Formats: sequence, C-alpha cells, structure tokens
Amino acid sequence: MMKLAPSLGSLFVLACTLGLSGPPSAVASASAVAARIQEPASSAQQYGCLICHADKRRAFQLGVHSDRGVQCHDCHGGNPESFEATQAHGGNFRGSFGKLESLEVCASCHGDPDQMRQYGLPADQIAEIRTSRHGQLLLDDRNFDAPTCSDCHDPHTTLRADDARSGVHPINISATCANCHDDESLMAPYGIPTGQVAEHRHSAHGVALYEDQNFAAPTCIGCHGSHAALPPGVGEISNVCGRCHVNVRRAFDLGPHGRLEGGEAPLGCTGCHSNHDTERVATDRLAQTCEGCHEAGGSETTLGDEVQQVLLRAENEMERANEALHELVRGGHEVSDERFRLRAALTEFRNLETMQHTLDLERMEDVARLIASASLDIRGKAEVSAEEKWEHKLLLFPVWFFALGIVFLAGYRLRRLRVETPDDQRTS
Amino acid sequence: MWLGQIGGDLRQSTDASLLSSLRFLGLLYGPIDRKLPIDQALRKAWARRLPSHVGWRHSFGGIAYLLFMMLVVTGVLLSFYYRPSVDEAYPSLQYISTEVPFGWLVRDFHVWSANLIVLAIMAHMARVFFLGAYRPPRETSWLVGVLLLFIVLAFGGTGYLLPWDQWAYWTTTEVMNVVRQTPIVGGAISGLLVGDVFVSGATLSRFFALHVIILPWAAFGLLVLHFVVVRRHGAAPPRGYVETQDPGTPFYPHQLLRIVIVSALVLALTLSLAAMFPRPIGDPATPFETPEGLVSSWIVVDVSLGLIRTLGVWGFVGFSLLGLLLVILPLVDRDTETSLRRKPLVLSVGLLFFLGFLAFWAVGRKIDAVPPSAGIESRILDERAIPAPGEAGVDGSEDSETRQEP
Repeated sequence: MMKLAPSLGSLFVLACTLGLSGPPSAVASASAVAARIQEPASSAQQYGCLICHADKRRAFQLGVHSDRGVQCHDCHGGNPESFEATQAHGGNFRGSFGKLESLEVCASCHGDPDQMRQYGLPADQIAEIRTSRHGQLLLDDRNFDAPTCSDCHDPHTTLRADDARSGVHPINISATCANCHDDESLMAPYGIPTGQVAEHRHSAHGVALYEDQNFAAPTCIGCHGSHAALPPGVGEISNVCGRCHVNVRRAFDLGPHGRLEGGEAPLGCTGCHSNHDTERVATDRLAQTCEGCHEAGGSETTLGDEVQQVLLRAENEMERANEALHELVRGGHEVSDERFRLRAALTEFRNLETMQHTLDLERMEDVARLIASASLDIRGKAEVSAEEKWEHKLLLFPVWFFALGIVFLAGYRLRRLRVETPDDQRTS
Repeated sequence: MWLGQIGGDLRQSTDASLLSSLRFLGLLYGPIDRKLPIDQALRKAWARRLPSHVGWRHSFGGIAYLLFMMLVVTGVLLSFYYRPSVDEAYPSLQYISTEVPFGWLVRDFHVWSANLIVLAIMAHMARVFFLGAYRPPRETSWLVGVLLLFIVLAFGGTGYLLPWDQWAYWTTTEVMNVVRQTPIVGGAISGLLVGDVFVSGATLSRFFALHVIILPWAAFGLLVLHFVVVRRHGAAPPRGYVETQDPGTPFYPHQLLRIVIVSALVLALTLSLAAMFPRPIGDPATPFETPEGLVSSWIVVDVSLGLIRTLGVWGFVGFSLLGLLLVILPLVDRDTETSLRRKPLVLSVGLLFFLGFLAFWAVGRKIDAVPPSAGIESRILDERAIPAPGEAGVDGSEDSETRQEP
C-alpha cells in the first residue's frame, strides 16, 4: 500500500485536474459534468469510497446526481481521499441519515436558488414541505411517521420525474404514496382512510393515466400537491378541479350550485363526481344523481331530468351522425365536408356537456339544435347513398330476365336437338 | 344493303388463317381449314365433334376463362380512372365508386369475378385431380393449369392492395410479414415485392405494375399453352371409355348452347353479387394506425388469414408447399391404370388441399381483427411522432363487428 501511495497521489492530482474527483464541491462545472459523462467513471483507485461501496456506485451512477458531478462525500461527508475505513469515515462523516438530517442534506443544494437555477429546478421545496401536512408532522411535531425526501426519492438512484423508472413518475407516484397511505396501521392514528390508490386507478383520471397513457391526467399530487401536500378544503375543491377543467368550473360558477355561498355550498365537483374514484356521471343517470341531494319529484330533479333528456338527444344525434359518416366512407363517398361538420358538432357536444353545469336549459336547447342540424345533414347524405344502393339492385330485374330468357331458349334448343338426334342422347 | 355487300366481300376475301388467333385464345376448338373462305372455315371448325363424355361438368374451366376475360375487360375500364399513387389511389377509388357512371358496377364486378374465378379454378382442378387426369399424357396441361392458379392468386394478391384503404393496407402488411419470415427465400421475396421497410408507395407501384403489366402477359402466355396442350390430348376420358365406339357430339350447336347457358348464369350471378354485396371501402390507408377490424373482400385473403391465425407462419408456408406439391404430382404418380382410390397417399394430398382450402376459408371469414404483430410499423412510426393523416370518424372508431360480404 505504501509503495502505491506516490502513484495514487499523482493519479489523484490528475483526476482533480480532469474534474473526475477532487475537493468537495456542491456542483461541478458544466464542462466537468460533460467530461464525466464522456469519460469512464471514477474507479476505486481514484475514489476511496468505491473500495468498499461498489454496489452503491452502480446505483448512484444510474441517477441524475452522478451526471451532475455530485459525489458520495457531498452528502455523506468523510474523506474520500483516504483508503482506510477509519480515516475515510472520520470528520463530518454521516453513514445514514435521520429524517430531519435527510431534509437538511437535500436542502443544502435544493434550497439554494443559485445552484438550482441552472437546472430550471425550484428551490422552494423545503419551504413547501413546511406548509404540508407531512412537513407539519415532521418538523413541528417531530413525528417520524411522516415522510422525508428520501422516502419518495431514491437517495442513490435519484431519477428525473419524467423517467419512467422514477418513483415520482406519473405512472408510479400513486404507488409511492400508497407505500404509506395504504398502510392501515400507519394511517389509523391519523384517522385517514386507505384504499385511495385503488379508487384512483379505476377512476376517470386513473383510466386516462394507466390505460390511455395520458400523463396529463392527475395523480395524487395533481390535486394534493407534492411537496406541499395537503387535502384541499371543501371550499377549495372547485378551484382544484378547475385548474384543469377550466370551462366546466366557469360553467359551474354560473349555475345555481356555483352561486351558493358558505355553508349552503355542496361539495363542489365531488358532490356528483366523488373525489378519488372520480367518475363521469352517465348521461342516463343524471337525474338520479340529483336525487342524492334533492327531493325526488321536486323542481330541482325535474330540471335535472330535462337536462338529461337534452343531453341524451344530443348524444343520440352524434351516434347516428357518426354511424352515417361510416356508411358514407364504406360506400366510397368523399366525406371531408361531412367529417368537418361532425367535428364541429362534436365541439358543440363537448360545449353542451360543459354547459350542463350551468343548468341553463334554454342555452342547452340552442346548442342541441345545432348538433341535430349537423347530424341531419350528414344522415341526409347517407340516406341518399342508401337509396342509390337500393336502386342498384333494381338492375337485377333486367339482368335475370335476359339471363333466364337465354337459358330457357338455349335449353329448349338443346332439348330439341336431343330429340332430333337420338345418337346424342347419351350426352350428359 | 351495302352492309350485306361489305359482309359478303369480307367473307370471300378474308384469310381463314385469322381464325387461328381465336384458337389460341381458346374461343375455337376445332382445326382451321385454311383453304376455305373464313365463314365456311368457321362452320367447319364448329362442326368438330367432341367426345360424348364432354358435358356440363367440364364447364368449370370455361367459367374460369369467362371470368378471366371479364376481369380483363373490367380491369381495363377501371384503369381509365384509377391512379396508382399513395395520394391519388384512394380518391380515385372513391371517384370510380360514386361519380363514374356504372363505375360501382364495374368495380364490384371486378371484385366478385376475382372471387368466383378462384372457386371456378379450384372446382376445375378438383375435377381433373379426382379423375386422375393430371397423369401422363396430360401432365403438361396439369402443370400449366396449376401455374395459372398461382398466377390468378398473384393477380388477386397484387390487386388487393390497390384500393389503398386500411383493410387492404394492413392485410397486405400482415401477409408480407409472414412472407418475410419464410425461411431462406422469404426476406428476398418480401423485399422485392414491398420495396421498402414497410408497405408504402413503392409497394403500391410494384403491385400495380405486376397487376396490369407483368401478370397479364404471363397469364395469356400460360393460357395459350394450356389451350394448345388441352387440344393436343383432349379431355380425359372416364374409365372404360372406348373411343372407337363413340360418334361424339358436334361442338356447334350442342356444346356451344351449354356454354351460352353457363355463361348467362355466371354473368347474371356475378352481376347480382356485385349489386347485392358491394365491396365496402375502409378508411384511407395509413401506416400510423391499425384499423380496429379487417374486412376481407377476397376468398384467398380469408384462407391466408385463417392459416396464419390458426397454424401460424408454418401453417401458411406448409399449405403453400402443399400447393406446390400438386405441381409435381404428375412426376410422382405416373400410373395411368390404377384408380385414385387405391392410392391413399395421393388421394390424401388432394383431399387435404381442396378440403383444407374450404375449411380455412370458413375459418378466415370469422377473423376480422388485426394482430399486434401487424402494428409494429405503426408503433415505430408513432415513436417518430409523425402526424397521422386521415381518420375513421370523429372518435376514430371503426365498426369491427359488422362483417360484410366481399
């Protein structure tokens, strides 16, 4: 070991020069990072930690921190220049972190706007965590049931949120939350129910996310926030949903439910659509949904029934128009104009779906009439096409008349020939 | 008056050897007496006596030929309007179907003739096979007949892509994927036919050229050869037939009347099918999106899909090899005396081919889904984020449950 020391020392100097190793620095320069990506990673001969912790090296190299020039000692402290465990683990070395220490270590970089600016990352996560229920429990109450950074973000293989392997990728984040929120024993003391993740998976949002791979669909953090996670208050629900469903929220505010104030207000969107198992209210169950709050047979449920009828009629018109368009396509017709009209009708139909939240029956009827008009035009062309096809079949009358006539005459002649020429009677 | 004069002059002056061209086209059976005026030579040729065992059951070959001629005529009419390019093929098909007077009839007659000709050829082949008529001295006739079957299949295969709709595109893609997996020669054949990494405008051009230029010439050449060898050896007689005791029946009017009856019925049937069950058109072809269902419009596509989905690539290859085995059958089975009933192996090959064709046709009719393997190109292109042209409807859905007649 002693003989190796001079050569290792020179290698270390060289490594420092290349930016592969060297004194702890919070963030390597851009050129150093580029060099690190291009060149082989530090070996155990250059970086003492790797002599014993080669397994961690592999995990760490998969994460973004390795690409950014962060090294073991940047978080764990100690002396990476030493190849002796005792010396390497000396000084300010911390092998594992408590929850609060974890926050502190991460915040040393992620709370520094000067360091985060170049990556376009916010530097206020720690401040956000303080406002969250998790942060309140951890920081104020010193309750270590609450998560810290490393509970959601793998501390060594830290991946970008848009990396599908990351625990905070839209596809995975609900499972990450479920690590704690599906644990009944952990949630029981706080009176928090479990099973939200399963409910979300089957909700309209979950179907959009997991089946349609629509990563814009909200996961847990879409409504609750991530670092500042808190359940929205009753009065906040419409605002939370309205961040994505802007037009629906506007329509809702114009309607009688949106105009209700204070204690009179229903549970906003969740009153009809639920929260975690968010579902579309089927058009034919609209009036039934009203009966959840309003008296059956009352003026409110009657209005709900009328709204339902308008929507059902429009839905039916759309289906018939779509079917007619397909028939036209199959018949070989050029349908760009009809397709355009159907698209316009679909836009109006989406508008109508939004408009139902206003419960403004008169305006809804106007929009439904536009849809019916477009549908009628498309169906009219399809009917003309169907009539043409029917007329084509009329051709069969003269065709079969002549064909059977020829068959009859030729058959008669053939029969006469057989009678007249007995020698040929053997022929078939 | 003067028309009669012109007719008389033509009859007297026209060389009877012109009738030889009709012989080559299979429209005249008897030999031509070139010393006679053309009208007398025609009557003499028509008076040629055929063996008395030639009758209705020999109609299938004639039906196939009639349908082939109808395909040529309707194909030429379609080519007046069809444009073989990615951008224009589909619109030109729409134009033919909806704007051209009786364009719909010409197109659907073409489609239905392409279906019926396969059935007619299979029936013709089955009759020849089970009569043992493929054996010497008629092995050339059999060989040429089987080659004609392959030519007709190639006609249909290349013509199937020309509508350039989703069903045509993805069926061709699936079949080409299977061809590509055929050992040894599959990659080369597929590369030659497709002309690109996936079915594209290059494929459309190649299929069109094959369909309207190369295959017609090959078909006419083989047809002439077929007629020549059929005339050389005549129709195969039934067992125990003694030629010297058979006075025969004259071609005209006996056999000609039968031809007229069969032709009238076949044409009326084809027209009826064309009017009753027009071939629907899918959405415009796009490699970016697989259709939710496939609507087949050709019997052989049904058979191919039935083979591929139930037995896999090897099923398709194996059945094709079985077809090739039929070609070399006369080389293996040269015994003209023994009945097929005493040759179980040969009989089994024939039964397997003809009954298998019918069975996989029925299976294929039930299949209308596109397998995930066919969508590989779609997924690759999706990843390149190229915008997709053309859609089914507003919701992009296609009615996969309704399966229409071809």
